[in-house]
Amino acid sequence: MAVNAEVAVGGGARPGPTPAPAVPAAWPLGLGLGAALLLALLGASMTGAVSVQWADWAAWAQAERSGSALVLWELRLPRALLAAAVGAALGLAGALAQGLFRNPLADPGLLGVTSGAVCAVALVLTFFAATAAGLPPAWRPWVLPLAAFGGALAVCFMLDGVARWLMPGSIAGLLLTGLALNALTMAVVGLCTFVADDEQLRSLTFWTLGSLAGASWLVASVLLLALALALWQGARLAQALNALALGESAAAHVGVDVQRLRTRLIVTVALLCGLAVAWCGLIGFIGLMAPHLVRSVVGGDQRAVLPLAALAGALLLLLADTLARTVVIPAEMPVGIITALIGAPVFLLLLRRLALRQGGHA
Amino acid sequence: MRKLLSAPGAGPAVRSRPGLAGLAGLAGARRHALAGLAAVAAACAAPALRAQPARRVVAVGGSLTETVYALGAEAELVGVDTTSIYPPQAAHLPRVGYLRQLSAEGVLSLRPTLVVAAASVGPPAVVRQLQAARVGFELFDTDHRLEGVLATTRRLGRLLDRADAGERLAAQIADDAERAQTLVARLNAGRAPLRVLFVLSHTANQVHIGGADTAADAVIALAGARNALASVRGFRPLTPEAAIAAAPDVILGTHQGLQQVGGVDGLLRAPGLAATAAGRARRVAALDALLLLGFGPRLPQAVAGLAQALHAAVSPRS
Amino acid sequence: MNARSDLIGPAAPGAAVPATHGRPLLELRAATVRVPGREFGPFDLRLAAGERVAILGPSGAGKSTLLKLMAGERSAAAGSVWLAGDALDGLPLARIARRRAVLPQSHAVAFGMAVELIVGLGRYAIEPDSQRARIVADALVTAHAAHLVGRRFDTLSGGEQARVQLARVMAQLWDVRDALLLVDEPLAALDPGLQIDLLDAVTDYAGQRGHALVAIVHDINQALVGFDRLWLVQEGCLVGDLPAGRSALPRLAELFGVELQWVGDEQHFAVAVRRRSPAGER
Repeated sequence: MAVNAEVAVGGGARPGPTPAPAVPAAWPLGLGLGAALLLALLGASMTGAVSVQWADWAAWAQAERSGSALVLWELRLPRALLAAAVGAALGLAGALAQGLFRNPLADPGLLGVTSGAVCAVALVLTFFAATAAGLPPAWRPWVLPLAAFGGALAVCFMLDGVARWLMPGSIAGLLLTGLALNALTMAVVGLCTFVADDEQLRSLTFWTLGSLAGASWLVASVLLLALALALWQGARLAQALNALALGESAAAHVGVDVQRLRTRLIVTVALLCGLAVAWCGLIGFIGLMAPHLVRSVVGGDQRAVLPLAALAGALLLLLADTLARTVVIPAEMPVGIITALIGAPVFLLLLRRLALRQGGHA
Repeated sequence: MRKLLSAPGAGPAVRSRPGLAGLAGLAGARRHALAGLAAVAAACAAPALRAQPARRVVAVGGSLTETVYALGAEAELVGVDTTSIYPPQAAHLPRVGYLRQLSAEGVLSLRPTLVVAAASVGPPAVVRQLQAARVGFELFDTDHRLEGVLATTRRLGRLLDRADAGERLAAQIADDAERAQTLVARLNAGRAPLRVLFVLSHTANQVHIGGADTAADAVIALAGARNALASVRGFRPLTPEAAIAAAPDVILGTHQGLQQVGGVDGLLRAPGLAATAAGRARRVAALDALLLLGFGPRLPQAVAGLAQALHAAVSPRS
Repeated sequence: MNARSDLIGPAAPGAAVPATHGRPLLELRAATVRVPGREFGPFDLRLAAGERVAILGPSGAGKSTLLKLMAGERSAAAGSVWLAGDALDGLPLARIARRRAVLPQSHAVAFGMAVELIVGLGRYAIEPDSQRARIVADALVTAHAAHLVGRRFDTLSGGEQARVQLARVMAQLWDVRDALLLVDEPLAALDPGLQIDLLDAVTDYAGQRGHALVAIVHDINQALVGFDRLWLVQEGCLVGDLPAGRSALPRLAELFGVELQWVGDEQHFAVAVRRRSPAGER
């Protein structure tokens, strides 16, 4: 039994307090990460199996270099830039995927994108090796990267199509479709592993462990270009991603075209992951760790998280790769192992924190 | 920088990729040629003299490392890959990684003047980087014949400025090979060639069997036996149908492989092997993997050892 | 006593359809929604600017579906929906967002976003928006949430989150007139005092701008106090369109299968809800 109340009369507008600044922690964090990244790039260039001198930096103009100058300019610098570019790409892809799924645990690996890339490579290695060998030598180094990119893109279009057909506009449907595609692509890889002869088997195994050893100026440039495009696209979509965090319906209510947003996000994520996997194999957990670290400092505003996650991812992978190159000199560890060794415990920690926080809610 | 020296009598199977050695200045090439001549002279005059300390060799591939040791050039060896397990001293050298997963910087950190690598070296990107780094990268194609071993020996001898030692070693290998063939002929006298199934086991679940165009196939043929799986190329997964269709007299494995799966008992648990006559009678032979498949300087010993092991496996137990 | 709106509303109790000024703000013409196995509708409704309507009905009756239909979230399988004279189907989302706002049932927002950011998102479709910061601040004040500025949304209590969402919706339609405000049971889990405060805030806000207010309400007292018109929904159909007042009690009792008793007079009243006794005795 409710008693009707007196209506509050008046309540005209009175000036409210000035709103707090948008993201106070973003700029300091950005500058800090940027400075750390530059330092890490410098450090990575100077660290490694071969000892490089400061004088070698002066050799940038030389057409032919040798010795440690060659190592610096032809091996270390492209590799450091590639590590930064791939790390940034994976970090950005992770942040975009998490915005798309409204889930801090979403990772492009979860969507099956990276598995699709690996699947395409496995198929080429196992069934089309003879065809690939018949190509002109200039094309051969591009066969596997193109295959990986094609696989990632194919998975993404499949994701979009199937999920739309299943439950139009629903992101839960997308996630489930991603899980199914993951299982499917991994089954195909298993089939290839079973059919492959010994040599192909070993190539595949090493490739799936992730390595930045194939770095060159060309590869690094391609990835930096793709990263720049993706960052620009991300900047345009950031506010829409914020609105998506309200929920799909609420986002549509405030005027976001959820369908189109989703398509653009998927294609961008596929592009970033496909290229990263194409040249460097499977490197996991960067897409999970980088956005999470950034969000714990600046909160959930995607306009800050997207670029900062890219920076954080670049820093993480650069450090991991430097470690991979120096821990068993003169050999090298696959960098995917290091990111997994660090990333898996972080993932479990994240899981626990999330569970605690949700359990703590009234 | 080393220019590739083409030698008379090099077999058609030998092919190496020149690095960008051609870009070396003329003065540099002349300087190195003179130094090389001096080294050869010194080596001939005083066999006990160590080769000039300026040469630093990285060997990638177990049989290439073996050959370097057999040529007496181990003092110049500064690094090897993880497949270089013979002779045992090689284990003390710095490792530059697995044959198919080298580290470019790791190789370069040893400041090599010569890198000799087997054909299956990888990854391709690292191979390209090493070739561009102009460290005297020499690739040795795979050739599963005695002639290939001899050509490799001679070529490596020339690269290491030990042409004479190379010739002597090649001659010795050829002699040993003749004796091994005599032994094989004697063992095989009056009987049909044995059917052998070669088994490569990574883990208990992943067992592959070797068909034609493999090192195993070649060495089995040299030992006077027949590959029971000659109808397929390369390695195939082991299945009961394949094993039974092969119907081998002897199952051949490697010591390292048997260790992986838990000995002969473990191997015979693989699907299909126990169903064959050879499996039921436990007719299993095994040799060291590098010896058997490496096609290095110990090839004659491998052939002889294999022939003896195969016949021992089928001989009736008393 | 709840002040009956002095805006456009029923002139006298008993009038079923309010007098409209020009074209209706929202119009449903035989609009039907189809989901596998069920059909909702057809709905024929007309809503004018400034009206306050409460949608009532038992669980599963289709209230939310009707609201979604009006919001443009669900398209009509048959019939049509018209917002301010334009067919809802063809309108671009940004334009709809200027004429219609929805306050959802659940408040959950992913990630820890700042309160001001969330309120500002209500004005996503408005470009350029030079007044955004001021409007956000004012909306927070109106929604009794001014003290939450600078907080992270996921650290707020349920009631605080509800207020921030309300501020967002208010900000969306802050500077337009005669728009449509749809509310889907957002006040359910709040304490009674807060419920009244917020409902009043919404009513004032809407009244000042001529916005129409349509809300799904479960509390019969709330419905009768805060609204002028009742839409009764049962089993996917509209079973009643009546002015809110004493005359609606018999239909409401029938709708919910309970006994209702009017306590008090026309100015100060309450409705007592009792279980229906089996033999029909009082």
